[in-house]
This record gives sequence, C-alpha cells and structure tokens, in this order.
Amino acid sequence: MSVSRGGDGVISLVGDCTAQDAERLLTALLDDRKAIVDWRACDSAHTAVIQVLMASGAVVEGPPRGWFLAQHVAPILTQGRS
Amino acid sequence: MNEFLEQFLIEAKELVTQATDDLLALESRPDDQDQLDSAFRAFHTLKGAAGIIEFAPMGRALHAAEDLLSRARTSEVRLDPPRIGECLTVLDQVVQWLDVIEGTGELPEHAGPEADVIVARFVHAAPSPAPAPGAQQRLQNPDDQWVAKLFAGDSARPAHRQVAVRWRPDSACFFDGGDPLAAVAALPGLMALDISPCKAWPPLEEIDPFACQIEITALAAATLGQARLAFGEAADQVEFLELDGSDQTLPQPARDIIQAQIELLEAPPDSGSAGRLRSAGRVAVNVLRSLGQDQQATSLTKVLGERPDGPALAVALRRLLGTGSPAGPSAQPQLRAETAARSLRVDVDRIDALVRLTGELTVIKNGLDHVAGLAEAGVTPAALGAALRDQQALLGRLVDDLQHSVLSIRVLPLRHVFQRFPRLIRDLSVSLDKPVRLVIAGEATEADKAIVEGLFDPLLHVLRNAVDHGVETATARQAAGKDPQAVIHLRAARQGEHVLVEIEDDGRGIDLDRVRETALKRGVASAEALAAMTPAQTAELVFAPGFSTAKAVSDLSGRGVGMDAARAAVAQMGGRVQLESRPGHGTLVRFVLPFTVMMTRVMTVEAAGQAFGLALDTVVETLKVARDDISTIGSAAAFVHRERTIPLIDLGRALGAGHGPLDKPDATVVVASVAGQRVGLEVDRLGGRMDVMLKPMEGLLAGMAGVAGTTLLGDGRVMLVLELGELLS
Repeated sequence: MSVSRGGDGVISLVGDCTAQDAERLLTALLDDRKAIVDWRACDSAHTAVIQVLMASGAVVEGPPRGWFLAQHVAPILTQGRS
Repeated sequence: MNEFLEQFLIEAKELVTQATDDLLALESRPDDQDQLDSAFRAFHTLKGAAGIIEFAPMGRALHAAEDLLSRARTSEVRLDPPRIGECLTVLDQVVQWLDVIEGTGELPEHAGPEADVIVARFVHAAPSPAPAPGAQQRLQNPDDQWVAKLFAGDSARPAHRQVAVRWRPDSACFFDGGDPLAAVAALPGLMALDISPCKAWPPLEEIDPFACQIEITALAAATLGQARLAFGEAADQVEFLELDGSDQTLPQPARDIIQAQIELLEAPPDSGSAGRLRSAGRVAVNVLRSLGQDQQATSLTKVLGERPDGPALAVALRRLLGTGSPAGPSAQPQLRAETAARSLRVDVDRIDALVRLTGELTVIKNGLDHVAGLAEAGVTPAALGAALRDQQALLGRLVDDLQHSVLSIRVLPLRHVFQRFPRLIRDLSVSLDKPVRLVIAGEATEADKAIVEGLFDPLLHVLRNAVDHGVETATARQAAGKDPQAVIHLRAARQGEHVLVEIEDDGRGIDLDRVRETALKRGVASAEALAAMTPAQTAELVFAPGFSTAKAVSDLSGRGVGMDAARAAVAQMGGRVQLESRPGHGTLVRFVLPFTVMMTRVMTVEAAGQAFGLALDTVVETLKVARDDISTIGSAAAFVHRERTIPLIDLGRALGAGHGPLDKPDATVVVASVAGQRVGLEVDRLGGRMDVMLKPMEGLLAGMAGVAGTTLLGDGRVMLVLELGELLS
C-alpha cells in the first residue's frame, strides 16, 4: 500500500505508486479535500497519480525521494498553484 | 601533450584535408570510383586513429560518414550533394574537436552529444526508418509556440541541439499498462518537462483516474533516434522536433525583445539614432547572454564593434530570428579562425643538408684554431690578415648556405592555404545561390610559412568579394550571354624573389561609375580628384578605408571593409595588391608577395654621410651621370638614359638630411623602379649588396613613412632600409 492516510489530514505517498494508487489517492482526497499530500518518501509515481495531484490542486509536501519527480514533476505541481 | 597525440593531430589534419578534397571532387564527378575509394580510406583511417587514441565520440561520428561512403561504394546509395554536405559536416566537427584536443589534449566534454547529433543526421538521411508522416510534417514548423514555452523555463540551456517532444497520450493508455511519464523520464538528457491538462480539470469528483487527460512536452539533449527509442511503440503518437544548435529557436520573449530592437533600428534616422543603435545592440547582446548563447552574443558584439550602423545591426538581428538575410541562419558558412600550423613536415633531405652544414662549421672552427696558432707564432700581420680573410670567406659561404637551408625548412607550398578555399567557395556559392566553380592552379608554389599562413585572411576577403559582388546571379549571367556557372581562378606562381597570387573572376567587373558616385558620397575623393583619375586609379578606390559599393549590407563581404583589410594584411607581409578590372568580363586581384619575410636583399648606399639600404628588387641599375647631362626643370632635375627621361632625386635631400657634395663631375645614380616608374636617386657613394634580416619599425617609429625597417651593420651601426614607394609618393 503506497497511499496511506494519517489521522492528521496528511496523505502519504510511499515508494513506487502505481496506477491503482491513483484511485486510492483520489478517494482519499475526496474524503478530505484539504489534506496535504506528503510524498517525501515517494520514489516514483504513475502518470495517473500525478494527474490526480494536478487535478486536485492538493498541497504537496516534498521534495519527493525520486529524482525525476523532484527534478521535473514537483516544479510543475507547485507552479500550478502559484 | 604526448608524442602519440601530436602524431595523431598531424595525421588527422592531413586526413581531413584529404577527405575534404575527395568529397569536393566527388561533388563535381559523383561517379569517380577512385575518388570515392580515397575518401572512404581517409574516413576509415581517421576513424581507426580516433579509436586507437580512444576518442570514441570522434570515432562514432566518423563511422557514420564512413558507413555512408561504404554504401555509396556498393552503389547502394547515391552520393548526392546533400549527402556530401553531411560528410563535410562531420569533417567540420572533427576539425573543431582537433582544435580543442590541440589545446587541452582531450576531446571537449560535449563531444558525446555532438557526435550523437551527427550520427542522427545520418540516420535521418538513411532511407530506412522514416518517422511517422504526421511528425515528419510538423518538423518543418520550427515556430511552434510549445517549443518556445519549454525554453522559457530553461534559461541556462546549453547551446547544443536538442529534441523537443510533444505527446498527448491516448486517454485509454493506462489500461494498456502505459505510463507516459515513465517513458519521458527515460528520455536521455531530459532537460525540461511540462505537463498540462488537455482541457480544464473537471471538479474532483468527476475525475476519472484511469483516463489519461494530459499533454506532455519535453526537451532533451538527445538525438531524434534516441528519443524515438525511448517512446517505443508510442513513438508514432509523439511529435518530435529536432532543434539544431546552429539555428537555435529563441524563446518567444527573447524573440519579442529582439523584434522590438529591429523596429527601433529601422525607424527613420534622427538625432537620437546613434544612441538608439548602441542601446539596441546592448539589449540584444544581453538577451543572448542570458540565454547562454555566448557565441551568438560574441558575434553580435563584433558587428557592433566593427563599424556600428543601424542597417547592419538590423540584418544581424533578423538573422538571429531566422527572418532576415536570404541565405537564412544555417546557410552561413562556418568560417574558422586561422590557426597557424604549429608543426611542420620537413623533407629529410633538408634536414640532412643542415647536418652536413653543421659538420662544415666544425671544420671552420678548427681552421680558426689554426689561424690563432699562426698569430701566436708571430707571423706577419699581412699573412695573418690573409689567413683570416680565407676563413671569413669560408664562414661567409657557410652562413649563407645555413641561412638558406634553415629558411627552406620554413617553406611551405601554398596548397596549405589554397586547400581550404574549395570548401568555403562551395558553401558561399550555396548560400548566395550563385553557381561558382573555383579553379586552383600553382598550389605547389612555395613560400615562407609566415606568408602562407598570413595569406588566408586576405585571400578570403578577396574571394568572398568575388563571389558576393563580382559574380552575377545565374540569371543575370545568362542574360549577358555568359555560362550561368561563374569561374573563379585562384593561381599562384613564383617570379624571381616574388610569389604572385591571383584571384580572377569572370563576373561583372568593377562598375567605375558607381565607384565614383560612392567615393564622392562617402567623401573618399573630391569631384576634381575623381575627374583626374584614370580608370585604374578609380578602381583602386575600392581599397580605400570605409569604401563600399555593396547595395545592401551583406553578411558575407561586409561593406568594403574586407578589401581594405586585405590590402593592409598583404602590405604587412611586405607585399602589394594590384587590381585589374574589365567591366562585364571580370576582375583580377593580384598579390605580389616576397618569397620570404625573413631575408631581404638590399643594396647599401651612402647619402648625406649616412648609410641606407635599398631593397635590391627595386634597383634597376647604377650609373654615373655627368653633371652636364642633368637638366634642371625648376627645382626638379632629370636626365635622359636609354632614350627615356628619368627624374633625378637627391636622396639626401629627399630624406631631409641635406645635400651631398655637388662638386664631383659625375653624379652617382641608382635607377630604381617605383610603382612601375623609373626614378633616379643621386647618392654619395654606392655600397655593396647584402642579405639582411629586416626588423620592422616598432613603437614610436612604427608609423614612420618611407622606412621598411632596420638592420645592424657589421660595425654595429644601425642601417635604415628605405621603402622607396612611400618615400617618393
């Protein structure tokens, strides 16, 4: 399980997140629209997961562990919000 | 640098030259199998050498060209001009690498990607895996906004070529196990990424997490082939845009800024023009620097520095945007700065001659021992003097031989400089769309290394002028009843102590009326002066500093600055430039150069009590002229010799050193030839002939007119060697 909900309004993405994780993430975000997504332990994420992060406009806490995510994807997410 | 590498550099340069020659020959005779074999061997050998020395990227690039040539040998592909162009590009790149290796001993860091670009060009040129038709078509449109957007976020991008990709994955791709971002992450050399929704995101509850709804754009320092590979089967859905480093697409904001500067420059001139020009130039340079395009910035700075004017700068800026000159950005031939050869290949015979001469020096040393012995034994001064004279004569002959031998080591055939022009003329001809054939003759003519190496720039100026201004367009030539393909001859010949180099085109010649008009307009000469000029003198005005007859500012030959610079460069080597023009038939530019810059043969004379040298090649003869035979015309004097009236000039007086003794019944006269005119110089006394190492005037005296240089006499006195042309003009 790469997507887990803490009780404190934080959704954690851990390790390699698959396409199935996208649905779990979406469900979690629908439950708590103000949740912060902590992806500091995330190594990789399927396009579907990134798509959900973008569409939801969720606040992410990073940087993610994966180089590609940190280098190229994270800036797009933060830039989308500003 | 180790010896191995040095040897590699020497050989590599020779092989590049060989391959270039062969390729150019193949362009005119595509079916010449021998030439093809020779080109193939050159590439093959060069590749092998690069492999041995472990310059893998160089090997890879050369292999691509070698492979093409190999297929051409088996008639699998036709070696058409574009393919030859690709092979020449490889050689250009190799030469650039060689220059770096020469300086650092290693291939530059970016050689890998550079080699990839070259390899990709060949993959591209190959008939087989063609990109998807849609993608191919879009490649033609470099102005796509999405590319500019990618660049906007990436200000520090390096100046290499890249591939930009745009991909809107199939919305059902997740079901097939597709992960588009993973594919993008696998792109080699990924530099920039952007993800955007295909349409505005719906409310969160309506999102289908299993439908891909994004568009991905990315920029990678990779070749088209590598990029396609990274996308695998999906590659057909991806739009690729290969960006060549040479016509770098500027990001849109930069384009806008530069466009604004062009408009500023093209505003009607007023009192603020000069200030506008400088600020526009500065802005453009800063924009380029901020984008990391230092090379472009530097060349723009040069345009600003040379002779800043609005139109020239506007042309340069338009070129940056790829909207300006008819030739377009990539068509501008790459002109490499002249790099003097640091190593020489010398005939073993010449070295052997030196060894022999060194042996003879030992003999003379022993001979002097003997003379010293005689002196100690108390022989008469007369006998001692005679013995010393003998030794001096021997030593003198030997030093002459030695000097001659050493100088002959520095002698190179003009081929070294000529061989670079076929390629340049080819590129110029293509970029100006004027068919031109360069015919080279006499490339085996030898000259001093300094002359051979100094010739590149002036020749380049003159040749560029010939193609740009001398030669008409193919249509104009046909209308004039000429062969549409122009011919430019580049010839060299040895003439006595001189080397002649001629550049002759069969173009339109120099339009004297336009020269007069322009000279008048530019204030180069007054109307009266122009009216008094012969046609030849008028034509010579093209050498005047700042003169130009070019209608539009051309990025090739500049604005007449070239001819001025060419004449100065030739003069610096002790030569002169002659010009002949036949309107409608062509122009001939002739460089008359000394064979060697090191040694000058002079005749010494004495005038007003001082010794002077006269270059021996200007001296025609020496005479005694009876005072009665000298007629004075006002303050001038002349005498008749061999049925010609020759003006007589008192050298001492001409030098401002006062009269020589006038009481002698005969005047001692040196008849010299100055600019084709005979002139008599009256001197006090004639000296001998000598070979001198001429030292040019330096420092405060550098600008001194009439003096070619100085040399030391045997007794330690300094002798001025006169430049009669300047002195008497």
